[in-house]
Amino acid sequence: MFKRKLQALQYVASDSFNINDEKQVRSLILWLENQKIRYYKIQDRENLRKHDSPEWTSHYIKYLQDVECPFINGKLVEQLEWLLGYAVKLEYSDNVEKYKSITSQNIQKDKVVPKVVSSSTLDSLNFESDDFKNGVKSLAQILNITPHPNHFITLQAISKVICERLNPEALENPSFIIPEGKPFPFLETDAGFVSNDQVLTKAGKILKLLFIQDLRSLQTQINECIVSVQKVTANPKTDTKLGKVGF
Amino acid sequence: MSIITEEDWYLPSQKYEYLDHTADVQLHAWGDSLKEAFEQCANAMFGYITSIEYVEMKDIFNIEAEGHDLDSLLFHFLDEFLFNFSAEPFFIPRKVEILEFDRENFKIKARGFGETFQIGKHPQGADVKAITYSNMQIHENKDKCEVFVIIDI
Amino acid sequence: MVVRSYNEELQYLEKVNSYCWKIKKGFQPNMRVEGIFYVNDYLEKLMLEELRNSCRPGAVGGFLPGVKQIANVAALPGIVGHSVGLPDIHSGYGFAIGNMAAFDVNDPQSVVSPGGVGFDINCGVRLLRTNLFKKDVLPIKEQLAQGLFDHIPVGVGSKGIIPMTARDLEEALEMGMDWSLREGYIWAEDKEHCEEYGRMLNADPTKVSLRAKKRGLPQLGTLGAGNHYAEIQVVEEIYDKWAASKMGIEEKNQICIMIHSGSRGFGHQVATDALVEMEKAMKRDKIETNDRQLACARIKSEEGQNYLKAMAAAANFAWVNRSSMTFLCRQAFAKQFRMTPDDLDMHVIYDVSHNIAKIEEHMVGNKQKTLLVHRKGSTRAFPPHHPLIPVDYQLTGQPVLIGGTMGTCSYVLTGTEQGMKETFGSTCHGAGRVLSRAKSRRNLDYTEVLKNLEDTGISIRVASPKLVMEEAPESYKNVTDVVNTCHAAGISKKTFKLVPIAVIKG
Repeated sequence: MFKRKLQALQYVASDSFNINDEKQVRSLILWLENQKIRYYKIQDRENLRKHDSPEWTSHYIKYLQDVECPFINGKLVEQLEWLLGYAVKLEYSDNVEKYKSITSQNIQKDKVVPKVVSSSTLDSLNFESDDFKNGVKSLAQILNITPHPNHFITLQAISKVICERLNPEALENPSFIIPEGKPFPFLETDAGFVSNDQVLTKAGKILKLLFIQDLRSLQTQINECIVSVQKVTANPKTDTKLGKVGF
Repeated sequence: MSIITEEDWYLPSQKYEYLDHTADVQLHAWGDSLKEAFEQCANAMFGYITSIEYVEMKDIFNIEAEGHDLDSLLFHFLDEFLFNFSAEPFFIPRKVEILEFDRENFKIKARGFGETFQIGKHPQGADVKAITYSNMQIHENKDKCEVFVIIDI
Repeated sequence: MVVRSYNEELQYLEKVNSYCWKIKKGFQPNMRVEGIFYVNDYLEKLMLEELRNSCRPGAVGGFLPGVKQIANVAALPGIVGHSVGLPDIHSGYGFAIGNMAAFDVNDPQSVVSPGGVGFDINCGVRLLRTNLFKKDVLPIKEQLAQGLFDHIPVGVGSKGIIPMTARDLEEALEMGMDWSLREGYIWAEDKEHCEEYGRMLNADPTKVSLRAKKRGLPQLGTLGAGNHYAEIQVVEEIYDKWAASKMGIEEKNQICIMIHSGSRGFGHQVATDALVEMEKAMKRDKIETNDRQLACARIKSEEGQNYLKAMAAAANFAWVNRSSMTFLCRQAFAKQFRMTPDDLDMHVIYDVSHNIAKIEEHMVGNKQKTLLVHRKGSTRAFPPHHPLIPVDYQLTGQPVLIGGTMGTCSYVLTGTEQGMKETFGSTCHGAGRVLSRAKSRRNLDYTEVLKNLEDTGISIRVASPKLVMEEAPESYKNVTDVVNTCHAAGISKKTFKLVPIAVIKG
């Protein structure tokens, strides 16, 4: 709980903090006041320091009032959330200069940083050379793929076929990947639009087919999503005492 | 619920029949008075839902119905009984008796003698979906009163 | 009302082609649009016969023939396109059963009518497939029928066996199948293969009377009586193998389970309450209709909005109801075969509603319009590529489930582009009655009906045997005629045919 905020504040036990453990909660609150919030003078923090004192709770409520926490009557979770947020805010305003440059964009940039000098031969290839283009073309022929004028697109198609159909799993279990049943004679059916241009009609039909494929995978994802929710919510029951069946 | 007395055991003779209608059933009921024709009409409806002779007169169930004319009074009178058959207490009457028939304000107080419907004890007949105003007729003559109601099956 | 002879009446009817008739303005007073209806030779005879009977001198009381009802609907304020009669049409309350009508939501005059939805709100059909075949099931057919009967409460007065509190009900009314999913009664894929994904978002349980909730609570998870049933069916014929394979039907003799049920007492009460309210609203707003049964209210009025919200809650009730029975069916099969429903591949192929009003976008002339489409005894049938149908059926069109009569056969169709244009994406829903209940009871003997079913190899479990003759195949139009008419007229397309081997009903 509160792991990210605790980490940001560099709290030692950020990984193991347990809100249900009263002792941990009390020592966290003291730590926050001591290290981050520092609302009271050091000598005035004595009351919060007495973890085992029966009056601790009333001192704590007093403390909440003093720091003007809006959740005095709220749940402990809300109070802690607020205190942590407050501490983060103070930490930030103390060091605005230091944190200012850390924006999400800059973080992204930093991530791309590793510049390893490549030893791969792929990097030294000339992708525009005839040699490369011919290679792609002959690979396409072997795999029975119609080449596209742009050889990069042909290469993408080749990559798709290899990844989907020629991966070790697919080779071992072709029925898993290759759809069963007979192919639908799509080109003989009604296109759903009228055109006198045969080539256009055919292209339209192919586009339609691709669209349907997209829709199908979307629908499958929706179904998978429903099924995973069902794992949590489903609890079908019948009770034959309620009604009479069969006689 | 009140107690069933000796005279309540009396069963009126059947004064209803079922007439032709393509998808539904037309109830035709008659009697010496409009009150009797209405009572018979309710009996006719339940006669279509089960074989009425299997129903025992164990309990009394009271209903009140109100309309703005005779047609709607008949409609609500039947609908009230149908509703109490279709939902709690699932009451099926062996006979229906109208206690008060207020023709000025179109109000009826009635009671049914019967019991809770029970599959296994009571043969299942048709499922009456609704009472309809379709071709509803109420004829009142000195010697004979008749009503026609189409129920949706 | 004008009294005309049969021949005079015929002047207003025009045969457009071998499967379609037009009802011209003037057939009934104040018609704002023309009516159309779809029939083949045989159904045409029935339709005209009904009209002829109503023209007999001295025929009073009786009921309005289907054609007249289509025309009366065509006179309602705000209607656009046509008032459409499907091949299985028969006389009903206000709207005929098998009638579709659409109203322009942006026309302030437009109305919503509970009679255009019916008492059994979101009555519908759900089809489950299995990976079993006839040979796996035949030896234990009787046990399976009994198994289903032992799991699903049926018939009048039956109560659900899934524990529900009043609070559960409130949540279910609001959430529809999302409630069933959350509680774990169904699979994620079930929702995907359901009209509206099993949840009407405008449902508002606070617009529903306490009476309706009281009637609904004990009945959730019950099949009901009347024409409702659960059947174990066998694929007998495949007409469109690609569409069938998209639905997971690869070969003949594959086993499916069909559940036909609705919103039970809950929906009935919502409809009853709304009719009472609307009578008043009609007087206030001075809405004139040809028939008192066509009680309606302006869509934008408080009564209209309240009804739409309560109706949506009832629709959600019906989906939860069918979902609960799906759960019970899966349990019954799993017990019998000692396999999990997963291993039996018991997926929902689709779930359609055939008594509902929905807001949809349609082309009227060349303009896109927002319409309130009433379908009563009519099924939505959207064409391929329609954005509101599941991704799996984008290429085939929406599956349309047509439940036959007890013991006959059922069909699965798909929606077509032509249907979208002519009938606002609607088609038939089932067989449609020809014999009245009373007549069926007089003319047919129940022991014989049951024996006939057994002779054709159908195991049957029924709560009220004495009423089976009312639901006997003889009482209905032949479902094959109805489906073939829709197929030939092009408003939907046959995919495969199912025949039952076991029936349970109320």
